[in-house]
Amino acid sequence: MTIVAGCDVGSLTTKAVLLKDNRLISTSLIRSKAKPQESARIAMEELFAKADLSEKEMEYCVGTGYGREKLAFVNAVKSEIACHGKGAKWLLPSVKTIIDIGGQDCKVIKIDESGTATRFVTNDKCASGTGRFLEVMAQVLGIDISELGQQSSRSKSPVTLASTCTVWAQADVIKQINSGVPIEDIGAGINLAMAKRIATLANSIKPENDICMTGGVAKNQGVMSLLEQLMGCRIRKIRKSDPQLAGAIGAALFAQEKLLSA
Amino acid sequence: MRPEIKEYNYDWMLGSLLKVASEIGNSSEKEIQYLTNYIPYFKGTLSVLLREGEVGTCFIRLLDKYFDNILTAHQNSKKISAITFCLSPALFHAMNIVPVTLEVMTGLAGLLWKRGAYDYLDYGCELGFTETSCSSQRGALGAYLAGLGEEIDFLVCDTPGVCDTNANAFAFASTFMEKPFFQLNYPQTIGDEKTRKYHLDDYKDLITFLKEQTGKDLDVDRLREVLKEVDKQDDILAEIEDFYCLVPNPIPVIFNLFIYIGRFISAGLPEYTELLELMLEKVQQNAQKGITGLHFEQEKARVFMCYIDHYTLNLDFFDWLNRRGISHLGGILSRNFRDNTRYASELEKSTYGIDTSTFETMLTSLSEMNATLPMVRSIRGPFDKPNMWLEESISLARLYHADCVVYNGTPGCRNTWGMVKPFAREVEKAGFPVHIMNGDAFDDRVESWESTVNRLEEFLSIRGLL
Amino acid sequence: MNSRFLQAATSINFPDLEQWKDEGKPVIGYSCSYVPSEIFHAAGILSMRLRGIETEGMEIGDSYFGPYICSFPKCILQLAGHGKFSILDGVVITPGCDSMRRLYECWQKAGEDYDGIVPGFFHYLDVPHKTVSHRIDWFVDEITALKIAVEEKYNLRLDQDKINASIEVYNTGRRLMDELEGLRRKESVPLSGSEAFAVAVAGTVMWRDDFNNELKQYVENLKTNATDTHKHKKRLMLIGSISDDIELVSLVESNNKAVVVADNLCFGVRQEENEISINDDPLRALARFYLGESTCPRMFGKYGERLTLMKKKIETCKVDGVILQNIRFCDLHGSENGLFERDLEKVGVPCLKLEREYGPLTETGRIKMRIDAFLERIS
Repeated sequence: MTIVAGCDVGSLTTKAVLLKDNRLISTSLIRSKAKPQESARIAMEELFAKADLSEKEMEYCVGTGYGREKLAFVNAVKSEIACHGKGAKWLLPSVKTIIDIGGQDCKVIKIDESGTATRFVTNDKCASGTGRFLEVMAQVLGIDISELGQQSSRSKSPVTLASTCTVWAQADVIKQINSGVPIEDIGAGINLAMAKRIATLANSIKPENDICMTGGVAKNQGVMSLLEQLMGCRIRKIRKSDPQLAGAIGAALFAQEKLLSA
Repeated sequence: MRPEIKEYNYDWMLGSLLKVASEIGNSSEKEIQYLTNYIPYFKGTLSVLLREGEVGTCFIRLLDKYFDNILTAHQNSKKISAITFCLSPALFHAMNIVPVTLEVMTGLAGLLWKRGAYDYLDYGCELGFTETSCSSQRGALGAYLAGLGEEIDFLVCDTPGVCDTNANAFAFASTFMEKPFFQLNYPQTIGDEKTRKYHLDDYKDLITFLKEQTGKDLDVDRLREVLKEVDKQDDILAEIEDFYCLVPNPIPVIFNLFIYIGRFISAGLPEYTELLELMLEKVQQNAQKGITGLHFEQEKARVFMCYIDHYTLNLDFFDWLNRRGISHLGGILSRNFRDNTRYASELEKSTYGIDTSTFETMLTSLSEMNATLPMVRSIRGPFDKPNMWLEESISLARLYHADCVVYNGTPGCRNTWGMVKPFAREVEKAGFPVHIMNGDAFDDRVESWESTVNRLEEFLSIRGLL
Repeated sequence: MNSRFLQAATSINFPDLEQWKDEGKPVIGYSCSYVPSEIFHAAGILSMRLRGIETEGMEIGDSYFGPYICSFPKCILQLAGHGKFSILDGVVITPGCDSMRRLYECWQKAGEDYDGIVPGFFHYLDVPHKTVSHRIDWFVDEITALKIAVEEKYNLRLDQDKINASIEVYNTGRRLMDELEGLRRKESVPLSGSEAFAVAVAGTVMWRDDFNNELKQYVENLKTNATDTHKHKKRLMLIGSISDDIELVSLVESNNKAVVVADNLCFGVRQEENEISINDDPLRALARFYLGESTCPRMFGKYGERLTLMKKKIETCKVDGVILQNIRFCDLHGSENGLFERDLEKVGVPCLKLEREYGPLTETGRIKMRIDAFLERIS
């Protein structure tokens, strides 16, 4: 009976999971603090509390994300790319291409049969292809980020927004609101601007089926549907667990592998 | 690229729309009204063009002819060459090669379609071309790289030494499409004998390349015919130029676009001469009546666009100038620097003449004409050296009594963005308020038209110009 | 790590330079690898490649350059504005690329606002983008004009013999660099990529004779003191935009799983593998070499040649993976990297494309993560 943990410290959120005999027994997802060590500590405490277990029962822990090397309780570290690949494979065994849109970057990863990343491409020079973009825009629109996805299905005429720079896009959104453009049209325009940038990035790596999305933005149905249209392919939805946990799950899987091979 | 975009060829789509539009000159008012219901994304542009009456419909016919040439080139056993806007098509017309001017092709998508060239702009990036490269080539190039156009047989550019991002686009495309590529290089100075000799040597190499690609010799009589037509066109252009000095300016705003687009794609061809003649007639009429070329307002301000215009969807920029009462005094794209123009007397060392007496004199005319094209002439060297961008801009702004100078370009324009701030300072010192636009002339997603126009209004109001 | 090279590579005012200035000898800064340093050497002038290391802040760089410009020339301007280049007696700027060429105007304009930052000798050397005969002639004219300008400024004469003698000194350095590169091809590579890069960068700023002597010694030491430190690491090649910062190479090697065994970088060994012929027309020999041998994507239409060169290097150095980096807004390298990735992956060479900032804006955490992931892929 092996209990292993994976911890993924991101810029916006920190995720942690506990795996026991290849089953998810506990998960936690918190808003990140300024210091990765603090974020990780809080996430792990919550994780063990929910499972009603003590940290001592954890046999191995792998950390990933920014600041992973600074985490005191981890036994090993792995790159985010590797962890997302592994985690996505566990969540959706048929997956070959993963589009991960996190808080501050976007990655498209191709994996082989074992879940090992074979190619990847990232776009993180600025906010406009990331979860941060959506957060800022939702705030300007005065809606919760969780409501942003639905706007696309409600809208009849999405607006075109400046999409190269988040600051300018923000100014654009304000102008649209002041001009009385319906919220759903602006929301749909935001999703579209985001989806277009991601589609260009994804297409540069020639995605193969099955394709799935991970990261917080995977929960935005608007962006997902638009991506399907723009890329001309189907994006499989992850139902086994929260797609935002893919990185942490992958880290835990690496922990499991490490223990089994020892 | 979205799958549906791959259904039709880019040039065919643009050409088809223009073919139908070219018939508008023969339509009644009622028919045009009815038509606009079916062209939601083109009607904005169309209304701006039709406002110019016969001149507007002539311009549409010129564009239609241009596309017709491209779409029938191969069936007429002609080669197609991708070229850039600052490379004169005259030689190509003389050698029966059909030139595809990438920047014009990109700009037209913006004028004719809802989303402009967005899908094609992004496709280049999918293939590894940088997102920060100039959008002017990148739009049309995306289509050609996707195989969505008539096959390009070879590529020619003259921007090494003048514009890296432009030259790089051609080099990239040539490698990607595995097609031959020729580059004219330009040194950092203009007007001295050594440079003139250099221009000629390089131009001769270009002709050799074109002969190799077409398998045909240069027909000297045809060349003479084309150059004589250019000469005629230059005469009319010089006459129109004179009118820029008048206050109010009798030249309609959109004529600026007609002048340079026509020159970039149809120099030396009769359809451009016809357009110029109609424009001159209109301008003369306005001047005789002492009225402005603006349609809705009296002239309130006069702007000199020191670089390029904004080709946002629906020709919004030109329409806005018109509605706000702002005369457009042309920009870097407008002038040919022929020796018969008034401004040439101030900038003599960097003008050209046309002499069709012998083959040698014609070659010299061609090479010098090419050397004075936009960008090639004045951003080849440090901006404050003789004949370069600063001298050219201030000289023209003064001559045409500009109230202000506005810079618009694209984020890809490494050359001007590397010097526009010091340039603006010097122009302000010369007494002209300067506004630097941050948008992209070919891609509204960088800065939306609404934001762009907000800033322009702000500038004009704060500097007391409107 | 050779400390003399390390000091030269990591500081603008390194000990050798300070001593040179103490002896009252002139220094001229130059902007790119197309400048024939032999001309300055023949005149007894130290030619020092302009670098952006030690930049802090960007307020001066941003005041003159627009926002859509590569950070490298901005850093140089920032340093110049803060007087870090006041040690220079002269500057030569070339149109290496559109961003760099505008240093010519921006630096002089900044000189109107910041006293004493523009040296007395400020020269623009035009460089063609192709190598056909009349272009070589043009470049010969430009180099001649540079030579004359130097002669007039320093009141001396640079005859054919003097220039040929300097060419020979530089050739010696090239041979030694070639020997060093030979050592990097071994399975037990005796030095890290950052150590090798320090040598290359030092070579662009040290007095050539001193550099040669030091390098000769260094190569001998490396030959005799074999090491297995890097034997089992993944062998990487670094290609792309300008880098004068050994920290970038150190970052790639920081996980201890990789060693950089080859590069094709502007400050690196792109051109050192070949020699300039000594003949009775040294200026033409210089023009041919600098224009024809040191190809980078600014020489349009040379992609095929460059790809062949990369493939050859990958093979001889037994490279396991290639890092294709570009500075944001560097379209020449950025686009070329796109083509390299396509063509190298096609023949089974794993590639990592990385876009970054140069200078104080570099985000090392993010870059390190990408490199770690790449190493996981190729392990």
